[in-house]
Amino acid sequence: MRVNPPDAYWKKDVSLFFGKRFALAIKMLYPIAIIGPVAASDIPAQYAAAVIGIVAVMAGTFGAGESLTTDLNDGILVRVSLTPLSPYRIVFEVLAVNAVLDLLQLLPALLVVFLLHPISLIWVLAACVALFATLVAANCIGIFIANFTSSPADVLLYATAILFPLIYLSGFFRNQNPEGIMLILRGFVPFAYANDALKTVFGLTTGTAPFEAIFYPVLICAVMALAVCLTAPQLLRTRF
Amino acid sequence: MAEFLDLALEAKNVSLRYKSSGRGMENVSFSVSPGEVFGLVGPNGSGKSTLLRVLSTAIEPDGGTFSVAGADGIREKRRVRARMGLMVDRPTHYGDLTGRANAYFFARAYGVEEAKAEAVVSDLLDFFDLTEYADDRVKTYSYGMGKKLALVEALAHRPEVLLLDEPSLGLDYTSQLAFQRKVRELSESGVAVVLASNQVDEVEALCDRVAFMYRGKVVAQDTPEALISSVEGLRRIVATLRNPVEYGPVAAVPGVQRVVPEGRNLVVHCGERPGIVADVVAGLVKSGGDIVSLSVERPNLEDVFVKLTGEALKREG
Repeated sequence: MRVNPPDAYWKKDVSLFFGKRFALAIKMLYPIAIIGPVAASDIPAQYAAAVIGIVAVMAGTFGAGESLTTDLNDGILVRVSLTPLSPYRIVFEVLAVNAVLDLLQLLPALLVVFLLHPISLIWVLAACVALFATLVAANCIGIFIANFTSSPADVLLYATAILFPLIYLSGFFRNQNPEGIMLILRGFVPFAYANDALKTVFGLTTGTAPFEAIFYPVLICAVMALAVCLTAPQLLRTRF
Repeated sequence: MAEFLDLALEAKNVSLRYKSSGRGMENVSFSVSPGEVFGLVGPNGSGKSTLLRVLSTAIEPDGGTFSVAGADGIREKRRVRARMGLMVDRPTHYGDLTGRANAYFFARAYGVEEAKAEAVVSDLLDFFDLTEYADDRVKTYSYGMGKKLALVEALAHRPEVLLLDEPSLGLDYTSQLAFQRKVRELSESGVAVVLASNQVDEVEALCDRVAFMYRGKVVAQDTPEALISSVEGLRRIVATLRNPVEYGPVAAVPGVQRVVPEGRNLVVHCGERPGIVADVVAGLVKSGGDIVSLSVERPNLEDVFVKLTGEALKREG
């Protein structure tokens, strides 16, 4: 399958991702540079898991949000939306390709984590799936934000406002042993399952089973992806 | 739907008003047959680009209907988009992709088969003299090259209707000629072209019919010849001067309607009366103008434009 010249929106993104070698090197190296030392250190498991979760959430949200708003500002995305391509398909491709490319950036760092903290294959799978779900959810948030602004700077502001409560609920730092309403709300945040899976990888025991760390975030992300794809006509509208 | 079938494009009472500024367009109606080149002319802010935005399905009108090659412009947007080639006034591309990759991406997005896309794109890049730069990143392109690439992207899927907003603005002379040749070629093959431009000489040379827009309304619509004949009795004196002058004495000559400086030229619009050319020359000399050359020309669309906007202003007054 040929990616360049691109004949689909996702291939265009892949082509751009691999087209700039220096940027590619930075993108591939920075997760290792942050996560590698954390994985090799003896900091408490919950904080090691939180670092990886935060890297995934930030990369996903800002990556999709900023690249989308840049394309919206340039007018190129509106031009693409005036082709016969379905707007829903365009947004789905934006979401899917960004999440997969984000995972690609995280994979070498995850490999380092799994080498330094060997664990059963089912938890490796659960951690990878839950992290991918985190990336999809974060990209959904980024795309959702792009509905309301075409300024990359605003993306940072809005993302912070949306992510802080979600990060709190997920138990990355606080809300580690939630009860009542906080426990119920935590169950709806996909980041929480990645956090639990990673805590397990780093040696902590949580109440989450591998099946739950795979099934629930995938289900939540499917709903989020559907919802964000439905915003396509609004997202790709001509802005004045 | 059957009523639309003989027409490549038909707009009926299309209206749109921007909430932010209150400007827009009102009850715009026109039709374009297959193979016809239709010009849209008007001052900045007259509604040309807004009309093209609506016809390109970028924004929905507040009222009215339009169809493109038999497809309803409001309910069948994707069918309309598939039949239409589009070049917006400020074309944008993926700067980090090459020109060829951009053109190929759009050709495929418009449904050109993989086997054909590369050949079609290569032919068009060659036609617009872009082959040498086709594998360079678009962010290294000049403004004119970007516009030529936008034309390639608009044409690669052989549209039935072509919407062009200021297509040759910023193009070098050779590229303008190539563009005009391509428009004639497309028109001969049955493509309907809507051309919004302020370059009246180009509109006059290319268009079968022209609509003048002013403050969101079509104030006149006819063939260039018919429109120009409506200003019979008007003279256009073009004087090339060695030095810029304060042209008050020229404007004061009886019969002179308007004096417009255009670079080193002074264009004088005046009525027909015996001796007026001599009086204008005397006025120029009185103004201190050193005349290099002088010509008396037949009226063109620019004069029609001046007359129509003047009349529209009077009606508003």
